[in-house]
Amino acid sequence: MKRKIQVVICRVCSQGVPVLDVDKLAKTAAEAPYVGSVVTVDYACQSKTISSIVEDAKTKEADRVLVVPCSKKDVSPSLFQAYVRRGKINEFLIETVDLTNEVILPHREDPTRAQEKAEARLAAAIARLAALEPLEKHEEPMRTKNLVVIGAGVAGLEAAQVAAGHGLHTILIEKTDRTLKAPGVLLSKSRLLRAKGHGGNFELVIEAGEKEETLECAVIVVASGGDWSQGKGSLTRSCKEAMPLFRLKDSIDSGTLPSGPVVIVDTPDPKGSTMKAQDFAWDDALDLAMIAKRASPETDVTLIFQEMRASGLSELTYKEAAQLGIRFIRYDNKSPPTIDEKDSKRLIVKDLAQDEVVSLRFSTLSYASIPANPDNIGIADALRIPISLDGGIRRGSMQRGPVTTPRPGVFVCGSAMFPKPEAVARAEGKAAGILATQFVASGTVEYGGAVAEVTPEKCSACLTCVRTCPYEAPFIGAAGKAEVRTQLCQGCGMCAGICPSKAIDIHNYTDEQLSIETEAYLRGGF
Amino acid sequence: MIVAKRKPLDEIAEMIAPYEKVAIIGCRSCVAICLAGGEKEVKMLVSAMKLKNRKDGREQSLDGFVLERQCEKEWVKEVEEKILDSDIVLSMSCSLGTQTIGDMYPHRIVVPGLNTAIFGVPEEQGLWSEKCLGCGDCIIDTTGGICPIARCAKSMLNGPCGGSSDGHCEVNLDIECAWYAIHERLKLQNRLELMEYVRPPKNWSTSHSGGRRIIVREDAKLTPHQKRGQEVLE
Repeated sequence: MKRKIQVVICRVCSQGVPVLDVDKLAKTAAEAPYVGSVVTVDYACQSKTISSIVEDAKTKEADRVLVVPCSKKDVSPSLFQAYVRRGKINEFLIETVDLTNEVILPHREDPTRAQEKAEARLAAAIARLAALEPLEKHEEPMRTKNLVVIGAGVAGLEAAQVAAGHGLHTILIEKTDRTLKAPGVLLSKSRLLRAKGHGGNFELVIEAGEKEETLECAVIVVASGGDWSQGKGSLTRSCKEAMPLFRLKDSIDSGTLPSGPVVIVDTPDPKGSTMKAQDFAWDDALDLAMIAKRASPETDVTLIFQEMRASGLSELTYKEAAQLGIRFIRYDNKSPPTIDEKDSKRLIVKDLAQDEVVSLRFSTLSYASIPANPDNIGIADALRIPISLDGGIRRGSMQRGPVTTPRPGVFVCGSAMFPKPEAVARAEGKAAGILATQFVASGTVEYGGAVAEVTPEKCSACLTCVRTCPYEAPFIGAAGKAEVRTQLCQGCGMCAGICPSKAIDIHNYTDEQLSIETEAYLRGGF
Repeated sequence: MIVAKRKPLDEIAEMIAPYEKVAIIGCRSCVAICLAGGEKEVKMLVSAMKLKNRKDGREQSLDGFVLERQCEKEWVKEVEEKILDSDIVLSMSCSLGTQTIGDMYPHRIVVPGLNTAIFGVPEEQGLWSEKCLGCGDCIIDTTGGICPIARCAKSMLNGPCGGSSDGHCEVNLDIECAWYAIHERLKLQNRLELMEYVRPPKNWSTSHSGGRRIIVREDAKLTPHQKRGQEVLE
């Protein structure tokens, strides 16, 4: 194999924070072993640039490409896959280096160190890329074109609707007993127990009513929503009328405007709260506060919060709300708002900005946080997808995959991640429906590539891999040695890491390849 | 299986400190499976020792490799050259492997890298519990399949003692009371009358109290004729 590397450096993000001399970096990289040529581009994250990078590499007869974009998170090798397929470049011979997070941000005060580190990082990546082998992927037909949507709320119904419109057979799993007009099948009073298989060919065990059922499906959309039931906390205990924001919204939507002063607090339990700012439905809170204020400008409306998270367009709403005369009070956990013991219609809170304790009279008290759905843990466990610290389902990437999960064939939408306004949930549902449709369109599943493989002579059949794998990929085969079901393997590397006999390797992440990379980095340059 | 635990790095470093060439030998058998002395642990120890030596400014050649079963001479023989080439052997197997090498090469210094601990069962990944002491005279047919010798702190033959409370042992409330477990098991099997059966004092001569034990299986032994044949073949 020729091992000729094309290095592509994106100059855009390093221009913003000029700590790196990109031209110098390109010049040094050009002298490194195995490097054919080095080019610099603008916006390596754009599809136009990506296709031209691949074309350029092909004409220069390189068989592997190293892309140096701003961030690995946004420009991952997977972006290039569509362009290199059926081409001369194997998709596993494309690597990226994250300059922003590894070099520019940590060393922006010290350009010399930044340059040194960038060179070392690049040298390591080139050494690693030269040590990689091309890998094959295999295909398997999908047994069904079923889509299972978990949760028949706003987002879930939208996803089902879109997918059904494209000819998918949809099955909605809903935990409550509500009956709705839904496309396909609606299983009410049911929940997901276990899942086997992989994207394209899942086998789910569902508890439907009293009995367990097995379902085959190709793709899954998680739309389990937030926990919209009552928030339980100190405020709700001492003030029975305290209500969640959505209830206030319902009453305002139905035309009943609050009659007296309105106070909106970020959480029902300000003291014990470990809540993240994103749990707070800021958009709704600001909207409702403004509606109440506009309806009767003489009414006092107060928002009490630990951290204001009105991002994007909401920033304008925040400004407008302040101009309207809505009062904002910031507190911290040391002195959280409490109901006055003598007067249950007064809230006492220490205003951080003024550094004084204020007592607010209210007739309506509402809290805006929506805790994550506790069912998420079971769902994430069954589907082997990650969950965030606040208990929401974690999405793949904010920019590149807002409704994806790290598992192929499993999508997520709506408040299952964290509370969202209805319109956003609806839009995400639609997106998840479309992605699910796209996923089953080819009718085949790809597997293999950078997955685990066992060297049988080294295997002690100790079962450690079998016990460790979250995807049930390894098993002890007829020969009495561990084998890996490639279709199930996600290439996470847990088995290879723990195997006491070092009998398992992940393709392209072998000890040898990792050592080559590390050693090149420690040498500190080319 | 035999369950062992690696000795602390400092202790290992002290044992091998005076020697220049160290052969670190692991075993693919029990100690690999209990994550103490397989190839991974050997490689990790070699790396850790290299780091430590660099930090302490010491020069030492460390060579790590693994045998199929260190307690068998034939497997040890395969790496004879490496053993003879070293100044010290650090055995990463149970004490059986360590002693096998020591007995085969009495002039060489062989030190243990592991503490051989128990006959244990992997209850879950990373957790092993002792269930047998190897007393040589198994009685668990009358105790619901639960060994009171290994699992009762007092090795009582007729329990429980007065220290059993809520199914726990008085020695440590985290330990289950073996006799409580036996009672529950026998109840499940409708054999509770066995609780009233008085087990007479045990013959401990089959245990370690009788001195070093040797097990012979005459029908498996080679005849002098077969042994001669083997020597000729070699």
